[in-house]
Amino acid sequence: MTKPKRIVLAKIGLDGHDRGIKVVARGLRDAGFHVIYAGLWQSPEAVVQAVADEDADWLGISMLSGAHMTQVPQVMDLLRTSGLDHVGVIVGGIIPEADADALRKLGVARVFGPGTPMNEIADFLRQGTSRAQR
Amino acid sequence: MPSVNELLQRFRSKDRLALSRLLTLAANNDQTTAIRHAIAGQPAKGRVVAFTGSGGVGKSSLIGRLIGLLRGRGKSIAVLACDPQSSVTGGALLGDRLRMSGNEGDAGVFIRSVAAAGGHQAIAENLELMIRLLSVFGFELVLLETVGAGQGDTAVRSLADVLVLLLQPETGDELQWEKAGLLEVADVVVVHKSDLPGAAKVETQVRSQLNMPGFRKIPVLAATALNGEGLEALWEAVERVG
Repeated sequence: MTKPKRIVLAKIGLDGHDRGIKVVARGLRDAGFHVIYAGLWQSPEAVVQAVADEDADWLGISMLSGAHMTQVPQVMDLLRTSGLDHVGVIVGGIIPEADADALRKLGVARVFGPGTPMNEIADFLRQGTSRAQR
Repeated sequence: MPSVNELLQRFRSKDRLALSRLLTLAANNDQTTAIRHAIAGQPAKGRVVAFTGSGGVGKSSLIGRLIGLLRGRGKSIAVLACDPQSSVTGGALLGDRLRMSGNEGDAGVFIRSVAAAGGHQAIAENLELMIRLLSVFGFELVLLETVGAGQGDTAVRSLADVLVLLLQPETGDELQWEKAGLLEVADVVVVHKSDLPGAAKVETQVRSQLNMPGFRKIPVLAATALNGEGLEALWEAVERVG
């Protein structure tokens, strides 16, 4: 039997829009994932500590504030310096396509925009490989 | 994927990521014999304080507040927070650490969310091994949070040095406090959300019913995580137990 994958879901910074991430949390729960919901107003440091202590396979960050090009690179740096290169990162929310390319270059596995069907995210997490395995 | 032997070696040199991965193996019932064998006989000074009570009574929030209080006293703290795992899909939404934020960068705090399958009395499989790993690693306190459990889920008793049962206002009349189950085995009872109306009434009822002449005396206290009121008295009561 395969063990359920663990994913930390968090919002970083002052962005208070958490409807989307809650829908994703529920959807992934129903898809058989163990979802650690870290919630709103997290710092990059808090998120990376959660990933470490929870031994997460994936980290999902929701950004609707426009601060993604500031906050996500900090998270990627912290993951690397904390020895967490094996953790895959996905980003959701309002991310312009040009920024999505830049985030992928930083090592983000995938950027999901508004309207993404839930099974697309679940299938990606099941089949997609996190960074270190690629 | 590092081998269990490599992980255990790193664990012995206090590598937190190795601890984290060993907890995953324990939770998944994977290579537990090797892990048990490796840490058998190792000194472990951790004191285990468990918190139980119905879903929404405020266990996570109370623990979140206690972490602040106890870190101020220099105790290193590990938390194992159980939430239910779906019997339908095997999935879980683990939402306890959300209430315990503000400890990033503090090596003296370790919080782990654990999915607990149904039918195990509100605690996860191999929880005793996870407690032992945290304790051998060096955490002085292991705070254990059960899945929401109200009356009969007493299995947590055998895992804890101190068992704290949380109640809240508007949870029943005095006959509730005569019932067997968790009330029989708890060391400390907290009427949580003491800022809400009706809390004093429940506190009085529970105290008088539990401590009737001729029966075991157990402390009954009021507290609220909203502003931390009552937490110092609660921790004093916990420390007085055994």
